[in-house]
Amino acid sequence: MKRLHSFKLRLRAGIGVAVIVTVIYAVSGALVIGADTKAADKKPQKKEVKKLTGAELYAINCNRCHAERYPTEFTSAQWKTLMTHMRVRANLPAKQAREILKYLQEDSGN
Amino acid sequence: MKTRPQIVGVLAASFAMGVALAPRASAEISDEQFNQLKDLVTQQGQALKKQDQRIDQLETTHDQDQKVHEQDQNRIHELEQQLNETHSIATNAVQKAEAAAQVQPASPAAFAGPAATHNFTMVGDAEVQFGKATGSSSAFTLADFAPIFLFRGGDNTLFEAGFDIMLQNGSHGPGGSGGSSTSVSLSFAQLDYLLNDYITVEGGYMLLPLGTYSERGAGWLNKIPDDPMVRGVLPDSGAGVQLRGAIPICESGQMLTYSIYGANGPSSIDGSGTSTNLDLGGNVGDTPNWHVHPSGGGRIGWFMPWKPHYDLELGLSGQSGEWDDAGSHLWSAAVLDAALHVSPYFEVKGEYINTWVGTDDVGTYHPRGWWLQAAYKFAGLDLDLPVINDVELVGRYDTLSDGLGTKTDRNTLGYVYYISNTLLFEGDYEWLHGNDAHNGFVFQLSYGF
Repeated sequence: MKRLHSFKLRLRAGIGVAVIVTVIYAVSGALVIGADTKAADKKPQKKEVKKLTGAELYAINCNRCHAERYPTEFTSAQWKTLMTHMRVRANLPAKQAREILKYLQEDSGN
Repeated sequence: MKTRPQIVGVLAASFAMGVALAPRASAEISDEQFNQLKDLVTQQGQALKKQDQRIDQLETTHDQDQKVHEQDQNRIHELEQQLNETHSIATNAVQKAEAAAQVQPASPAAFAGPAATHNFTMVGDAEVQFGKATGSSSAFTLADFAPIFLFRGGDNTLFEAGFDIMLQNGSHGPGGSGGSSTSVSLSFAQLDYLLNDYITVEGGYMLLPLGTYSERGAGWLNKIPDDPMVRGVLPDSGAGVQLRGAIPICESGQMLTYSIYGANGPSSIDGSGTSTNLDLGGNVGDTPNWHVHPSGGGRIGWFMPWKPHYDLELGLSGQSGEWDDAGSHLWSAAVLDAALHVSPYFEVKGEYINTWVGTDDVGTYHPRGWWLQAAYKFAGLDLDLPVINDVELVGRYDTLSDGLGTKTDRNTLGYVYYISNTLLFEGDYEWLHGNDAHNGFVFQLSYGF
């Protein structure tokens, strides 16, 4: 009886995890498609919302944990690796990470 | 002579016709009309003169243009010759390179292709500490080298591993443990795959997102050399898999972040469920993790900046799972974290941590505590004093209750002197209150690379 109870618990936990993972994947897929459609439907006459620059996003996201690192400290390829690392570590949105990377690579060292 | 009268007649007739048919032009013209005509003729003459001058100018300009054109033609001709020469040299070089390649095919040829898709980079930090506690002698207590190796394969894959190579030197006396130890430990070793813009899949030995301290707490980032005491009731890392990502809100930089993971979780030193045998870091090392089911956990966070250097972050995280071999007791944790930045100079952050440990001997007990840290950079005072401008004042209060009757409080006041953006000289004084508590100071030189 105890074994059966344990099996039921495991089954419920497994189903719960599977549901959560499926929901996350489905929502992310919808967001990706939604973002693409939005970009395609964008009318040129619509007033554009001011987008934050790479430098602004750098100041917003990076300085809250560590002192400023200068673009010349690393090469362009190293910045790409570091931004992948920081995107994962600090949970940065992909778009923002790409803008920050662009800003850093523009004045990167050789 | 009959012809003579005929000639006279003809002459007379001609005269008469001449008088009768005289043209009107020979009519009378007034002086005024004459003068007008004269002026008109004069004006036309002047206009003609001007046109002549204009024609002369145009001819001169045309001649000059012609000369420039000829010069240009000559220059183009010269450039064509140079181009032909360059082309010839290049062709020769290619022929030579091809010939060389045929002679020695194994030698690498110069290649100007696209940028490399893979990259290896090392970052990390290093620290040296000097400290003294009440009743003990002062000593260089710690030397730490903590490299992080990053290998990026393409655009979506990253392998990262962090190590901690440390020499700890205990000071002698009532507060010191004496002796020294050298250790090499693995902080994390994980594979990250960027599945799409909103999901990253991680696997391996991961830093656990219980609060933010373990993920953002390298030696040169903490501002105070010692970790908050209450972090000791949580595991820093765990072996497992994780999904994580961020969803931006609007274009203001605001975002929701999430992490969800399954990890081995804490285990028991001897397999039993007694309180003294809880091993938070039981994933790897000498202690096996024999319980059957892994733990599950996650964090959800909200980050709201209203302009650069002004932001608020709130997070809620937790983990739960069995820890003894029989699987009859749960170890669970809940963490509430917050961070506030007001200007580039002032920040406040902290965490509240509570854990639940089910045991055979003391039932469920709650190791718990919290910490709150504030920091202010004197650069905000705009005093134009070089040394003062590079100093940051730091204060922290942290408290720990082990859940079994022991409570310790600590007040810390210190500073960070920024020698450069990555080289820091920190110092602080700690007042401890609790059982067997000793005050002390710590100085630390930190370098982030």
